[in-house]
Amino acid sequence: MPDHSDRLVPFPSPAPPPAAIANPVLAVRGLRKYFPAGRRAATGEVVKAVDGVSFDLAPGESFGLVGESGSGKTTVVRSILRAHAPTAGEMLFRLPGGRVVDLARLSDRELKPVRQHLQMVFQDPFSSLNPRMTVRDIVGEPLVIHGLARGAELDDRVADVLRRVGLEPGHRMRYPHAFSGGQRQRIGIARAIIMRPSLVVCDEATSALDVSVQAQVLDLLQELQREFQLTYLFVAHNLDVVRNFCDRVAVMRAGRIVEVAPTARIFTRPEHPYTRLLLASVPSPNPDVAMNFNVGEELAKLDSAPA
Amino acid sequence: MNGFAPSPQNSPPLLVVDDLQVSFDTADGAVPAVQGVSFSIQRGRTLALVGESGSGKSVTAYSILRLVQPPGRVTGGRIWLHSRREGDIDIAQLDEKSGLLFKVRGGLVSMIFQEPMTALSPVHRVGDQVAESILVHQDVSAEAARRLTIEMLKKVGIANAARCFEQYPHELSGGMRQRVVIAMALVCRPELLIADEPTSALDVTIQAQILGLIKSLQRELGCSVLLITHDFGVVAQMADDVVVMRRGRIVEHGPVREVLKSPRHAYTRALLDALPSRRAAARRDRSPGQAVVGK
Repeated sequence: MPDHSDRLVPFPSPAPPPAAIANPVLAVRGLRKYFPAGRRAATGEVVKAVDGVSFDLAPGESFGLVGESGSGKTTVVRSILRAHAPTAGEMLFRLPGGRVVDLARLSDRELKPVRQHLQMVFQDPFSSLNPRMTVRDIVGEPLVIHGLARGAELDDRVADVLRRVGLEPGHRMRYPHAFSGGQRQRIGIARAIIMRPSLVVCDEATSALDVSVQAQVLDLLQELQREFQLTYLFVAHNLDVVRNFCDRVAVMRAGRIVEVAPTARIFTRPEHPYTRLLLASVPSPNPDVAMNFNVGEELAKLDSAPA
Repeated sequence: MNGFAPSPQNSPPLLVVDDLQVSFDTADGAVPAVQGVSFSIQRGRTLALVGESGSGKSVTAYSILRLVQPPGRVTGGRIWLHSRREGDIDIAQLDEKSGLLFKVRGGLVSMIFQEPMTALSPVHRVGDQVAESILVHQDVSAEAARRLTIEMLKKVGIANAARCFEQYPHELSGGMRQRVVIAMALVCRPELLIADEPTSALDVTIQAQILGLIKSLQRELGCSVLLITHDFGVVAQMADDVVVMRRGRIVEHGPVREVLKSPRHAYTRALLDALPSRRAAARRDRSPGQAVVGK
């Protein structure tokens, strides 16, 4: 048996009722995703990676999903993108025309046209770009897949979007290796926004970048959001980034959301004890603000406390 | 174990790096990675080396253990270790095969690496890996090494140390593995501990515990720490002094409080201003009352 005595163990916590938001871009209701439990799967045992998650995304907002490894945030994202089918729950997605579809129930064939409105920016700017494709082919590929542009029009649209993310359109015949980490992340962003999606999922989109490059990429994401009315689902573990990028934040732990609130409220008046511990663990760059080195004991107390 | 008392100002620093030069040979000639870096660390103190990727902070740290691999090489400078146990040693001048360099590595100076999984051998038991550094550096029996190892595993906060001794790294979580790596680094009671991004791969609550552990063990063992990081939060909470590096040179050097609160160099200021918290503060000053979606 692995020794995870310093890790999080699940503790019961009621999922908060979803906030009432008019015409959400995405409404997730009671999402569950269970995986067979490795060697013990034969006995029917499962790992409850996501266990009853509900939230709404308002049009044009940046919604942060934070949590530590194993909290289930990536599983939530992968369910929304239908990288796997959820075990239970609804994911009601509003298409640009106003029609609402349940991503959980769509067949692969029905999903394809929906996917153009649902794009993703990945964490690793190296592995997320095919090294054997030119930037033009990478950024233009979504248009080709959905049969939306070809030839000169495709070229023009790729040049436009590259300019928009701060890259030189003249460099579009180059390969990813010719670009720095920050520039590659801009390529990944160009590929996502060329579809003019309504929802962009950013999974740790700036975690791999140096702090000065990270600042530039966050600025770019915010400019693009204003210009194209994008809604962001922003998954991150860096609370400092989330605090300054997101409008609202959901804190996940052990497959559940323990707290959702406007960003300012979460950071100034956290209600859930886990949120408080998480915030106290962040080393502040201000030497006068002491961090809590004893979170281990307090987490253990939290886990042993009756719900 | 004698308790640590702050060293008086007149005692020589434990480590003095003087005009260190490191370059990497490429087909297009030598590329300088570290160009004339000088700093010193007092006994029992923590110095943080910060900088972005490519600044030369890791190469500087690796030079101290003479771990810079070809095509990289130390081309100049001195690395003085004023050891209590072995006297004054210029690590830069030691022969690759000298017994003294062997004593320096893992004995007088040890290192914690960023990725605990790659720092541990997947095919050896955890306890044997920690005991190995004892057996290499000290003249003790295998039984005594085992006892010392279990003692050390307890010290780094592993509850069931005897069981942990028998386990393999894959059976441990990331935080537990980093505890084992710390045990391995400190079991020979080094005078200097180099920690290269020791918590960058860890979750924030685990990071807090590991940083706290390094701090308390440093106090207990009285060693100095050279902390390599890109995180100003870690610098502020852990270090006494900070060296800011950029493109192989030191741009600023001073007490943490001074450098973080009133940086003198434009690059340090730019780095600090790039922190999300500072950017938000700057934005709030420009446009008060930013709209917030939701309630």
